[in-house]
Amino acid sequence: MSASLLSRTALRSATTASLFRPTARALASVATSQSAPPVAGKQAPNIKKFEIYRWNPDTPDKKPFMQTYELDLNQTGPMVLDALIRVKNEIDPTLTFRRSCREGICGSCAMNIQGSNTLACLCRIDTSSTAPVKIYPLPHTYVVKDLVPDMTQFYKQYKSIKPYLQRKNPPTSGRENLQSIAERKKLDGLYECILCACCSTSCPSYWWNSSDYLGPAVLLQSYRWLADSRDEFGPQRRMALENEMSLYRCHTIMNCSRTCPKGLNPGLAIARIKKEMALA
Amino acid sequence: MFSSSTFRAASRLSMRQANPFLIKSTSPGASALSVLQTRSAATNTSENVTQDQAYSILVAQRKLRPVSPHLSIYQPQLTWYGSAANRVTGAAISGGVYVFALAYLASPALGLHVESASIAAAFGALPVAAKVGIKGMLALPFTYHSWNGIRHLVWDTGNALDMRGVYASGYAVLGLTTLSTAYLAFL
Amino acid sequence: MASLFRNSLRTAAASSFHAAPRVIARPAASSAFLRASLFAARPVSAQPRVAALHTSQPLRILPAGPLNDAVPVPEANPTNGSFHWSFERLVSIALIPLTVAPFAAGSVSPVTDAVFGAAVVIHSHLGFEAMIIDYIPERKNPTARKAFMWGLKGTTVLVLIGLYEFQTNDVGITEGVKRFWKA
Repeated sequence: MSASLLSRTALRSATTASLFRPTARALASVATSQSAPPVAGKQAPNIKKFEIYRWNPDTPDKKPFMQTYELDLNQTGPMVLDALIRVKNEIDPTLTFRRSCREGICGSCAMNIQGSNTLACLCRIDTSSTAPVKIYPLPHTYVVKDLVPDMTQFYKQYKSIKPYLQRKNPPTSGRENLQSIAERKKLDGLYECILCACCSTSCPSYWWNSSDYLGPAVLLQSYRWLADSRDEFGPQRRMALENEMSLYRCHTIMNCSRTCPKGLNPGLAIARIKKEMALA
Repeated sequence: MFSSSTFRAASRLSMRQANPFLIKSTSPGASALSVLQTRSAATNTSENVTQDQAYSILVAQRKLRPVSPHLSIYQPQLTWYGSAANRVTGAAISGGVYVFALAYLASPALGLHVESASIAAAFGALPVAAKVGIKGMLALPFTYHSWNGIRHLVWDTGNALDMRGVYASGYAVLGLTTLSTAYLAFL
Repeated sequence: MASLFRNSLRTAAASSFHAAPRVIARPAASSAFLRASLFAARPVSAQPRVAALHTSQPLRILPAGPLNDAVPVPEANPTNGSFHWSFERLVSIALIPLTVAPFAAGSVSPVTDAVFGAAVVIHSHLGFEAMIIDYIPERKNPTARKAFMWGLKGTTVLVLIGLYEFQTNDVGITEGVKRFWKA
């Protein structure tokens, strides 16, 4: 415990130092420690292996492979993202991954860690075992480079559900569209989604049919607008799902809700859409 | 904000300081590593390209992109293992029904004996252990698919769909399947 | 497959012994390994076998139309959508009492037995259909999709005829299963 506290202090001071280096700060991917790794004191190094998926578009003929890196956990922050940043800063600057907020609100660092999809910034490095931490890109995505997946299709699908309030007429008062507290409450657990795509890429149905099936994240958002009392285009939204692919490839596998790093429940939202469509 | 040359210089500086391999810049290994920061012409976006060119570069790159691993690396979880089992058991029972019905339909032409009396007689002649084993192998997919089917129907009403409900009902299905399979096998 | 994969990982891990001992944070691979694996045109021996796992699909999703356009919304057809879903649930719900009845009553009337048989076949047909839609995508394999769908339809009709024959010439499903189980 004291060891990890110590190391975190060391990390924090390194970060503070980098604040005073504007050029280095501008390098988003080289944000932290600029100096040589701090000396480990009297502690024995606590080495952890990280096995990371690599593929480089500049050498496309070279097949994807797993590369192993070793880090001393006593000098690394507690989260997997800390480890990745440290690998990139201090061992291998070619390692490529997306990250931004480091606090689970941007959704950039979504990846497959230890077999399940999560945000690297919210995922603690497993210290309970000596097994290597395996890191892959989001499953069944087209890899741009290393841990960076191509999200084009995901965003195009999100756009297709018209993720905005649709009304026939502006409110009569000429002011905002009003909603009761109870109506607003229905949006809890829906609006918090950060579109990291962890759920969609954990879904076997989405693996096999991502070009036609919308996937849990986009369907959760579809329900977010269906459940909104201010939206007047529910029937049109439902009609857009009246085909065998967009919605009904969901077989309630529930990997989506199991993996959501924000604790949301896309599986329940989809079940509610199906129920509404059957009864409406 | 910062010009690209500042960016590049800073990145090289930081790399040299941080990476022990890069300090000895005269060694062949280090020079090889520093190549990593340059990009090949195909992906160099700093040169002026028209929108059409950019698009065709993107298309060319997309053709090369590998699919990231999925089934083989995803953590075994009750959720998708249970769902796969539901499909496999369903296909097994339905496949059995289909094969039997087709065999019965074709039996006069093919000279098969699949009428209930002859199957029962053949089965009855087997040793007890074989009978229990075969009954168990038939009962397992049937009971699992039945219990899990009820679970799915409950889910379709919007109930028990939180993680607690999913796991509790998942283990309940496994337990009920074990008990009912054992009961039917020894019936 | 998984074991093949792990073999290659072991190779990568094994080369970690070459790393300089004084470096605290270091790649498990030596610089020699790095050079070999990252720059050599020839991949390291075990890697092509890894690749077979990772690049399985011959077809790629290419950008259809401008990148910022939404994916097209398919034509609405409730027969393939909500009606289909409701029908699936109704058949499944009907199967519950039909399955329990023989256990509860010991024997059932020929009509109930026939309804049960028909429900099982419809339920099976819908299940197989879902599997074909899931695993034989129309966009990739339109011919195979069509062949499987019509093949399934034909098979289901034959199965219904077969069960009708069994129902009329033999003892019926419930009695048949019972006879087998008690043998």
